[in-house]
Amino acid sequence: MEKKTPDSHVIVVTSGKGGVGKTTAVANLATGLAKLGYSVVVMDLDIGLKKLDLILGLENRVIYDIVQVADGECTLKQALVKDKRFPALYMLPAAQTRNKDDITTEQVKTICEELKQDFDFIFVDCPAGIEQGFRNSIAAANKAIVVTNPEVSAVRDADRIIGMLESCDFKDIKLLINRLRPEMVRSGDMLSIEDLMEHLCIDLLGVVPEDRNVVISTNRGEPIILDEHSSASKAFNNIVQRLLGNDVELMTLEEDSFWRKLKRNLGFKN
Amino acid sequence: MFDFLKKIFAAEDTSSRDKANDRLRLVLTHDRIGASSELMETLQKEIVALIASHVEIEGTPEVHFITEGRRTALDISIPLKGR
Ligand SMILES: Nc1ncnc2c1ncn2[C@@H]1O[C@H](COP(=O)(O)OP(=O)(O)O)[C@@H](O)[C@H]1O
Ligand SMILES: [Mg+2]
Repeated sequence: MEKKTPDSHVIVVTSGKGGVGKTTAVANLATGLAKLGYSVVVMDLDIGLKKLDLILGLENRVIYDIVQVADGECTLKQALVKDKRFPALYMLPAAQTRNKDDITTEQVKTICEELKQDFDFIFVDCPAGIEQGFRNSIAAANKAIVVTNPEVSAVRDADRIIGMLESCDFKDIKLLINRLRPEMVRSGDMLSIEDLMEHLCIDLLGVVPEDRNVVISTNRGEPIILDEHSSASKAFNNIVQRLLGNDVELMTLEEDSFWRKLKRNLGFKN
Repeated sequence: MFDFLKKIFAAEDTSSRDKANDRLRLVLTHDRIGASSELMETLQKEIVALIASHVEIEGTPEVHFITEGRRTALDISIPLKGR
């Protein structure tokens, strides 16, 4: 594979809380960048509970894992799984039957250094929690994406994680709000984008709406970003652009319901 | 049915979003400095006692946390008695 850029972005995707959409974000942003021809590798550090292979639909192609690379049982190249759809997308699988502390921070750094020679973007899929797995995940990263949901407990965990990243001298920390439901925000039953920004006080990278197509695409092992009609796909594509340094406006998340359209057409203001 | 009517006629309930924001404001302040509301009370008492041992206080002293961005500060207001 050919690198497009001299520098490599090593991006850790983290959250504190589990189930907020870290793995979904990693799979989609990596796919989106690979589709544009960047060489991308996703590194699964959720050792013992891996899921990234399933979301990318690569579960049947895994032979070696990252712990075996660290232990010298295979080479890094042997462990990398190539995505057939995109020649520039690779995955470094987690081990399913090992523990988070079966790999050290130093080993992760060494592997990352080697990956930097070949890849423009290295995504690290971080496990939930703030223990060894988290420390390993941030060890080699130079950017962090904190994923959260518009929900009290997820925001609290995100705040904790941001505090920890800041105390590790992380300069580039961005927020990704996932599973927003605009109709619930409007009816006063969900925290809004502005609310989350006010509480967490970090730059916003993007907002991904709740989208049932995410579940469908996960069933199929095809990242949602490939389904261009879905709203989650549009949101992820926008985030891909922002990662490349392009200014893209937040998309409007107001779903255009029949009634709203009718009201507008009849000349009512919303 | 009764619940339903109560809902309709209830005077402007605070939305669950407002409630979530209030709870978050409190919990994040405490998380960030690693302090509970108990510590807040202890702080208030001790600060006021210290000041009172040197000068006379008049009125009700107030001690609050204020947040600016991701930083937290103690905001202390203690009215003193004039001569
Ligand atoms: N925007 C979304 N809309 C609907 N479902 C989502 C969305 N993002 C994630 N999910 C679902 O939430 C679950 C948890 O997502 P996952 O990415 O595995 O979280 P994490 O890696 O943070 O534990 C998955 O079942 C996924 O399909
Ligand atoms: Mg995950």
